[in-house]
Amino acid sequence: MPQPTDLLQGTLDLLILRTLALEPMHGWGIAQRIQQASQSVFQIGQGSLYPALHRLEYKGWIQADWKASENNRKAKYYALTRAGEKQLEAEIESWDRLAGAVALVLGQG
Amino acid sequence: MLHEFLTRLRFLIAGRSHGEVDEEVAFHLDQQVEANIRTGMSPQEARRQAAIAFGGVERAREQCREEQPGYWLETFVQDVRYALRGFRHNPAFSSTVVLTLMLGIGSTTAVFSVVDRILFRALPYGDSNRLVSVGLVAPIEPQEFMLGGSYYQWQDHQEPFAAMTSEIGVEPCDLTESNPARLDCARVEANFLPTLGVSPVIGRNFTANEDRPNGPRAALISYGLWLSRFRLDSGVIGSLMRIDGHATEIVGVLPKDFEMPRLQAADVMLPQALDAAAERRADPGHPMWAFARLKPGVSIEQAKAELGPLFDYSLRLAPAPFRKEVHLQVRSLRDRQVHEVRLAAWILFGLVMAVLLIACANVTSLLLARGASRERELAVRSALGASRMRLLRQALTEAFTLSAAGAVAGCLFAMLLLRLFVAMAPDGMPFLSKARIDPRILTFALATSLLCAVFFGLLPAMRKAGAEELTGRTRTSMRQAPLRRWLVIAQIAGSMVLLAGGALLARSFWNIEKQSLGLNAENIVTAAISLGQTSYPTPESQMAFYQRLERNLRYGPGIPACAISDSLPPGGFHRDTIYAALRVEGRPALASGTGGTVAWRWVTPEYFRALQIPVVQGQGFTQEELTSNDRFVVLSKSLAGRIFPRQNPLGQHLHLAGGAPAANDPAYTVVGVAADVKNGGLGAGEEPEYYRLRRQRAEDWDRSSVLILKTTLPPATTEAWIRSQVASLDPTVPVEVRTLSERVGKMADRPRFEMLLVAFFACTGLTLAIIGLYGVISFFVVQRTREIGVRMAVGASRADILRLVLANALRLILPGVFLGLVLAFTLSRVLSSLLFNVAPHDPAAFAGVTCLLILVALLASLIPGGAATRVNPTVALRCD
Repeated sequence: MPQPTDLLQGTLDLLILRTLALEPMHGWGIAQRIQQASQSVFQIGQGSLYPALHRLEYKGWIQADWKASENNRKAKYYALTRAGEKQLEAEIESWDRLAGAVALVLGQG
Repeated sequence: MLHEFLTRLRFLIAGRSHGEVDEEVAFHLDQQVEANIRTGMSPQEARRQAAIAFGGVERAREQCREEQPGYWLETFVQDVRYALRGFRHNPAFSSTVVLTLMLGIGSTTAVFSVVDRILFRALPYGDSNRLVSVGLVAPIEPQEFMLGGSYYQWQDHQEPFAAMTSEIGVEPCDLTESNPARLDCARVEANFLPTLGVSPVIGRNFTANEDRPNGPRAALISYGLWLSRFRLDSGVIGSLMRIDGHATEIVGVLPKDFEMPRLQAADVMLPQALDAAAERRADPGHPMWAFARLKPGVSIEQAKAELGPLFDYSLRLAPAPFRKEVHLQVRSLRDRQVHEVRLAAWILFGLVMAVLLIACANVTSLLLARGASRERELAVRSALGASRMRLLRQALTEAFTLSAAGAVAGCLFAMLLLRLFVAMAPDGMPFLSKARIDPRILTFALATSLLCAVFFGLLPAMRKAGAEELTGRTRTSMRQAPLRRWLVIAQIAGSMVLLAGGALLARSFWNIEKQSLGLNAENIVTAAISLGQTSYPTPESQMAFYQRLERNLRYGPGIPACAISDSLPPGGFHRDTIYAALRVEGRPALASGTGGTVAWRWVTPEYFRALQIPVVQGQGFTQEELTSNDRFVVLSKSLAGRIFPRQNPLGQHLHLAGGAPAANDPAYTVVGVAADVKNGGLGAGEEPEYYRLRRQRAEDWDRSSVLILKTTLPPATTEAWIRSQVASLDPTVPVEVRTLSERVGKMADRPRFEMLLVAFFACTGLTLAIIGLYGVISFFVVQRTREIGVRMAVGASRADILRLVLANALRLILPGVFLGLVLAFTLSRVLSSLLFNVAPHDPAAFAGVTCLLILVALLASLIPGGAATRVNPTVALRCD
């Protein structure tokens, strides 16, 4: 198993928004999904996940609702808002630019 | 953006319960445990691994809370509450800080409210930055003026100005109605107000027609007159009032904040109604003062350059001796208004800034001392998880709370101080009486206090207590000691500068008070009278009035001498001429140049005896000469020495109006030489002077005169008697009765005021610096209690201990004094124009304040020094 990489500053927001773009999810689900999708390269320190979720909620990019979970417990589900969708697009675009630029510098463009 | 704002606002108002986060985290952990169990872990192990994976629950909860909008507000309120609690526990500390800040912020604010008016605030005219004062300057009149002979030429042909206007001065005028009053009437050109960008509050400006000779009579009245005489009745427009006997229509009211560009007081504004065509031909024409509005994009320098040809035109009109000494002057209206007080304003501002810095240094020092004794507390808070930012914020909040309290106290103090300034200030400081504490000044006070808070809050807060303080081995750390020492040195240096300035001004004031005036002002009562234009229209009637009055007064009780002059030494108004205008019969006139100014007065024969001015040569004026057809003159010693070096001036014939046609330039016989008398004001030099005899001929008299009475009775009795005599002749004539000593005393008001102000700030600064020094030395003693105990235990005497403390104090005092001396030495040059007969580097003043400062500082260190000698070695050694 490869060593988990430290999350780049600010990337966590992008990952959360992207994950929520698929469907509304609770915190644990988001952490699992990111870990799976990144093939365990990203391991979200859950301690930082919740502050990030709350920050995004305060910014109005996601909104939270208490719903019954798959095993019938009350869980807080986060969903992307209209503003969040726009923000996701903008962040993906800027990430692409960044990644492209890094690749260019590394001579792999 | 709006969306985000609204969301934040919603959470700010609604908040979020702590339970919500807990529930969310609990759910997360449960999910993780289940997942772990599914991979085959035992329930305990699953729970343990889940907790490890999550990390610190408490930390996460805290972070969630920090993300919440309004978190800063919550912590801020918490910090303030905490700070207040701290201050309540230590009232001595907090009251010292607040008092120190009150002194610093209060005096700064009060001074700023005065200085602001002079240096920064916009003048009460439209777009006042483009207004300039234009004119000629000559040795006889260093403030720019214009002459009717060239003004209209300038107005027609100037390029750089959008508009140019003039006024011809403010003169007393009489409101001759049922309730008569003496008013000040300004005479201005019709385009005066439009050029200044001022419109009347009600009514209209003069029309061009009203500004013609013999045009319809119209007047604008000041807001003050409108209030006092017409009770703000707007029906006043169109009504008539009698000014100097002429029915004049009130056409408008000036704005409340209106002031004449040269700051003269004026109740009524009249059209100057000059005959422009006659003025153009006249030489030199009516004296006037011109103001103009620069065209957009034209600078003052450009305007001055473009006026060159017009200036040359005026030069050709000027008499030959003047040409080299006349210059063109164009400067901003503000410069024209404040040219005298600008330097004083900056000096004052500098002084008060020094006081503020000393105050801030003091508070910093106090906070550092407090910080040192709170190191354990900070270490504990840090260990309990307070971040560095959090502690910094806490410290800054404390500083801001203190400075806010200081600002409130300071504003109150400033109001008090300002009232004191105004009460103390002499007349003729127009800026001072208008100074107010208004929102603008309050903003300044607030900004000052914020700056102070940053200054004294940040320094102590920059440090973070390490783990070692938790051990509590040292009760107080010595680490900030160097910083505090430097602060005290800076404070001492600052107060040294203030004291030196105060001492120089005090010596200057002493010289002014003790100088010889050349006359004896004791037991002299003076009465200044200016007769109204309507009741006394001719010189004959004016002479008759004054002669009757003199006759009545001369034979009054206890009047050994009585004289009439048109002006009084040692300062204030007197007539001036130029030296080149004097010509001895049979000698050519002065070849070139004006030769400087010469003062002169109209006097009656007893003038010299009343004022005890010795007549050193000849016999002065005699009663017989009063009725003579010939003219007589007495010269001052310096003037006689200049015109007649090594010659006897007596009996020589002198022409006094050089350049005028022969018919108007009669010969005067020199009948005496009088000792020199101070005549240029108390703080300035003396001009050569001559006296013309006021004979019993109408041509020698005009409206205004001053009666000079020597009295052997108490002055108050004579004053009342003069008033009654004037009233019995004509009860409507206003008379200003004062002893000459009072008049002289009033002239010293301004230097006295300057000295008192500086002395006040010097004392404040010194007090603060001494408190600072005392604090540091006390701290030093407390810190070294153990060391002192050990020293005493091994045999040091009390004198040794005292020497130790004082030596430490001297290590602060001496560098501070030295630094202060260097600073004061470089800065005192600025004061030189305010000093009278004192060099800016006066050794006595500097030596005096050095000794004073060292002495006071040593005395302040003796108190903690005495405490140190009373340390009980057994107690001191047991204390840890």
